[in-house]
Amino acid sequence: MTDEPIVAIHELSKVYQQGDTKIIALDSITLDIAPAEFLVLMGPSGSGKSTLLHIIAGVDRPTSGEVHVQGKDITRLNESELADWRNHNVGFVFQTFNLIPVLTAYENVELPLLLTRLPGRERRRLVTTALELVGLADRMKHLPRQMSGGQEQRVAIARALVTDPSLIVADEPTGNLDSHSAQEVLGILQQLSREMRKTVILVTHDPKAAAYGSRQVHLEKGELTN
Amino acid sequence: MSLSGFVLRNAFRNKRRLTLSVSSVAASLFLLVMLQVALRELTNPINDEGSSLRIIVRNKVSLAQPLPARQLQVLERIPGIVAVTPFTFYDGLYKGDEKFTSFAQFAVDPARTLLLITDAKVPREQLDAWLADRTSCILGQMTADRYGLKVGDRMRFTGQIYPCELDLRIAGIYHGTADDRNLMFHHKYLDESLGNPGTVGAWWVRAATVAEAPLVTDRINKAFANSSAEVRAESERAFVLGFVSMWANIKILIGGISIVVVFALLLVTVSTMSMAIRERFRELAILKAIGFRRRELFAFILAESFGLSMLGAILGAGGAWVLFHSIDITKLSHGLFLIFEVTPHMVGLAFSVAALLGFVAALAPMLTVARTSVVEGLRTLD
Repeated sequence: MTDEPIVAIHELSKVYQQGDTKIIALDSITLDIAPAEFLVLMGPSGSGKSTLLHIIAGVDRPTSGEVHVQGKDITRLNESELADWRNHNVGFVFQTFNLIPVLTAYENVELPLLLTRLPGRERRRLVTTALELVGLADRMKHLPRQMSGGQEQRVAIARALVTDPSLIVADEPTGNLDSHSAQEVLGILQQLSREMRKTVILVTHDPKAAAYGSRQVHLEKGELTN
Repeated sequence: MSLSGFVLRNAFRNKRRLTLSVSSVAASLFLLVMLQVALRELTNPINDEGSSLRIIVRNKVSLAQPLPARQLQVLERIPGIVAVTPFTFYDGLYKGDEKFTSFAQFAVDPARTLLLITDAKVPREQLDAWLADRTSCILGQMTADRYGLKVGDRMRFTGQIYPCELDLRIAGIYHGTADDRNLMFHHKYLDESLGNPGTVGAWWVRAATVAEAPLVTDRINKAFANSSAEVRAESERAFVLGFVSMWANIKILIGGISIVVVFALLLVTVSTMSMAIRERFRELAILKAIGFRRRELFAFILAESFGLSMLGAILGAGGAWVLFHSIDITKLSHGLFLIFEVTPHMVGLAFSVAALLGFVAALAPMLTVARTSVVEGLRTLD
């Protein structure tokens, strides 16, 4: 890696307390992720890959250690600052799509922009561009239930992209898709990394999906194994 | 799409539940307003200039105790009194009514009464007919309309207080007073039917001016102080309010029902909002993840809860206002209710209750959202 890392993780640990038992989800993880890298986090269930993804994305807090994203230690941000940071810097793609069922594809993509002060015309331009990028310009007025799983996930990717974040985190995005749709989605994520220089972090335990990444990191029992 | 548009989309996502919830809020607030209207009807006596001039003089011991008829001479000599008549509540059951006759019948001295009910409009020849025939009466227009009675018809009553039956001929029909329901007949006729007991139920007095009315009241009370039949004189309004005060339990009952209605309403709204938020827990977690802060999520919940309550208030309280303004409740209730109206105060009360409900109902879901971290919310996804 020649560039300054966009994500720098140092001695990161996450411990859950269940009664008298301590469960170590992440154990002193140190990891750098370069800009425009397509990093794949792999590992069996309970290995801590989703926990690591959540901490990098600023939706969970570590027990100890530091997480610098674009030079900012996000573990020091308060709840409100973190929400604002996520809105500007992170795009989320989930396994179950998680689109708002009463909103059209266009409105779902527009949702993160409602928190900005962008004028309507600019919002329209960004939403249209994001939907064109995932090949769904003709599905703007469709509700999630009127689309296939693959199309829904592509709308979710457009929603993750629309604020132009530097980091896109995808937690098992192909888990609910057929192989053809999965390839489409992974292709888009790869394209985002290669052509738009987005840093993509993908959590999966599917080796075929992992093959789309530029680097693979394996976790087991909360520790990096390579 | 705007943030308010987003709130609206969420509110209307489950139309059946929304309809049922708004309907229950509307029905409850309609009931609340109706209870307030009924309470006002029961506790707010007519208060026009005539009633401010008129004074009721009754036995100090109890309304049920009669007064000696000889008090008339004393009353007539009291300064400030321009008219006085015997005034006895007959409480007869009109033939045809099974248990309750909704209009009052008063035995009065017709010639003297005309000076007291100056606002009543009766054709001169009908008044003359009433004065001339002591078995005749004059009847309020509302009651005449209700029973389909006309001048010349006969009305038969069975006394509930006095052990006599009366057969009255309608000599005239009046209107124009604040309460056009009552029947008035000759006190002499009642006296004769009872064997001339030499008593009256009360005295009905008219003061010369509104300013002088309290002085006249005082003079009457003093005039009969330490006599064998001490009196209690009070304005017509005070008399009616005293009557109503005997209904204290009804007021408490209506107040109690109102509180239960509001409480039930609160449970409905809290339950609805809790359900609405519970089924959207995933989405709220997603909203948090993509950058929505707690305050924005609170605003969504509060707006939805408040909107639901207010829509219910518009339909319930507004519906009551429209209904009671568009229908003639006096006619519909055959004169039983006179001032059955929704006041701005009542509408204000209903909207205040709705606003409070909207706020309280939003508290529990807001607390849940505040307590739940993004990760906890996201964990419910998979």
